Amino acid sequence: MDWSFIAEYTPLFAESALLTIIIGGIGTLLSMLTGLVCALIKYFRIPVLKHIVTAYTELSRNTPLIVQLFFLYFGLPKAGIVLSSEACGIIGLTFLGGSYMAESFYAALGTVLKGQIDSADSLALNRVQTMRYVVFPQAARAAVSPICANVIFLLKETSVFSAVSLADLMYTAKDLIGMYYNTTEILSMLVVSYLLILLPVSGIFSLLERRINRGRI
Amino acid sequence: MKTFKKITALLSAALIALTATACTNNSDKASSDDDQLYRTVDEIKESGTIRIGVFTDKNPFGYVDNNGEYQGYDVYFAERIAQDLGVALEFVPTEAANRVEFLETGKVDIVLANFTVTDERAEKVDFALPYMKVALGIVSPDSDVITSVEQLTDKTLIVVKGTTAETYFTENYPAIKLQKYDEYNEAYSALQDGRGDAFSTDNTEVLAWALQNPGFTVGIETLGSIDKIAPAVTKDNTSLLNWINDEIASLADEQFFHKAYDETLADVYGTAVDKESLVVEGGVI
Amino acid sequence: MEGYEVIFAGNNFIRLLSGLWVTVRISLISIGISLILGFIMGTAMTGRNPFVKVLCRVYLEAVRIVPQLVWLFIMYFGITRLTGLNLSGEAASVIVFTIWGTAETADLVRSAFGSIPIHQFESGFSLGLSKIQLYIFVILPQALKNLFPNIINLATRMIKTTALISLIGVTEVLKVGKQIIDANRYEAPDAALWVYGVIFLMYFAVCFPLSLLSRRLTERKD
Repeated sequence: MDWSFIAEYTPLFAESALLTIIIGGIGTLLSMLTGLVCALIKYFRIPVLKHIVTAYTELSRNTPLIVQLFFLYFGLPKAGIVLSSEACGIIGLTFLGGSYMAESFYAALGTVLKGQIDSADSLALNRVQTMRYVVFPQAARAAVSPICANVIFLLKETSVFSAVSLADLMYTAKDLIGMYYNTTEILSMLVVSYLLILLPVSGIFSLLERRINRGRI
Repeated sequence: MKTFKKITALLSAALIALTATACTNNSDKASSDDDQLYRTVDEIKESGTIRIGVFTDKNPFGYVDNNGEYQGYDVYFAERIAQDLGVALEFVPTEAANRVEFLETGKVDIVLANFTVTDERAEKVDFALPYMKVALGIVSPDSDVITSVEQLTDKTLIVVKGTTAETYFTENYPAIKLQKYDEYNEAYSALQDGRGDAFSTDNTEVLAWALQNPGFTVGIETLGSIDKIAPAVTKDNTSLLNWINDEIASLADEQFFHKAYDETLADVYGTAVDKESLVVEGGVI
Repeated sequence: MEGYEVIFAGNNFIRLLSGLWVTVRISLISIGISLILGFIMGTAMTGRNPFVKVLCRVYLEAVRIVPQLVWLFIMYFGITRLTGLNLSGEAASVIVFTIWGTAETADLVRSAFGSIPIHQFESGFSLGLSKIQLYIFVILPQALKNLFPNIINLATRMIKTTALISLIGVTEVLKVGKQIIDANRYEAPDAALWVYGVIFLMYFAVCFPLSLLSRRLTERKD
């Protein structure tokens, strides 16, 4: 193990890690928002919007992010719009992530038995109250784990950004390997970097899942 | 939960350590002949097939045409090698990032993938005599032509991964901001969309491109020292290395590489390029 | 040549399709095995044995956090260095994806079982159902309903992740696309958008039916 190589390139990895976190983080958060909105639209069966959401979900979920990014990065300029690679990254991640989050949120909402909603109704709770006190807490239980999987997936998907010249972790790793071929050292640094990012994320969700399940009946 | 997470972290760390050990094992392996991963010339001849790693998307050196056939300057040489060894040829698609791994694990016998010779790489693989030389050129938009490298100091230079230009600029001008793409067409799109201030790769390529694309000029036609492209074999595979060197020397008699140029590159570069600036015959620059 | 003509030149289209087949083949095999193994592991994770739980958890975290590319490199190159065993790119891909798929499925199964309210179990027992009957008729249907969308999620994710395997020498559809684009770089410089467009549609054609299937199955359970 060439430790001097590792020492020399740790700053570069740190920089890419930061970029991955920032762009990935923003994209993930935006996708959770998008997903929640879409899930609610489907849940309440809002006309017209419901169909748009379905079309969007199917389109983005069933095609790879890399192709979506290519269209944003190389295709849009043909129509006169030139977005930076960062912007493309965030938009791409939000677009893709949104549909995954929507599906997971929707599935979670579905686990709440109709009986619960009926009971809430009979107790004269209005829509918002029902959602807030009855549906969401129960749905949250089913949502946490898939959402965690999605977040980790999205953060790892940021590796695709390397294709549009955004210096994320995977870009840096492949770059260095192609130049110096210290594959072992570089892949080790890559693993450690992702560990440092994803382990805390996983931990947070685990904690969240425990807290939510605490009040389990 | 806290203990659990610690366990996870520890075990993952252990996993990494394991991987690292596994991969570094190769240095021990190469020493004993029985365990070596590469194949000698005799072993190759006996098996009846040679595996050569080439690029599959770097026109005109290694690419796959519309009929699914491998073509290119590197491919032309690969086919001759197989022919002269009397074995069948198996092409293995390689990328810039795995050229060396393929050799170190013996999954290919030779790499003929536009592999630029550098001292660091020579530590990991053995290079044979060169069969091509490269001078770099820089193309930029007419509105802001780059005529000297100094002009690039605060600008962005586009390069394609795995090319000599990438190696050259990373080594010699680390201060210049590089924008890297996997494919040539992506790099050109980026240049045209104004994402970078200039693009650099083999001067033959940029000259040819600039001719076809108005609005762009090759401001620098020859940059820096001449770089060499050579076949690479697994470290210590002396039998194969010597065979290739002998082969290259003997092919000079028939001006093989000039012919390779005519067959694979002449159409692409046309009259814009002087053959002698690229071809290396008999391994002599 | 015009950009779109590239797709029909030579046997480019066939090559794209065979690249797609490589993608689909590897994903199908991996998902198939993953579902079986993952279900078993997931059920084990809901049990009471803490040792088993921890082990599975660590396995899941390790597989999920380490980037797929690294696993592919380890399986394809690393194993050869270590044991001299020469796995083909496809074999390595299937192994890696199965290991990943099993981990993910197990987690989904665990979560699905865990989300079922206890009173379902209690009501079942009070009705005199045996444990097995309870699982088959009450718990499983509910768990499956929650499971399906997420499993389909995983399947499509896997299909799309296959793009990475070009780095261990397996030519799948995206790589074929790049080869085609570059081969025609001089004659048809605008081919890229068209080729990626076709690839986009191909991925959609493969993943969309899966998505429909999941939708069909979950709606009926209502």
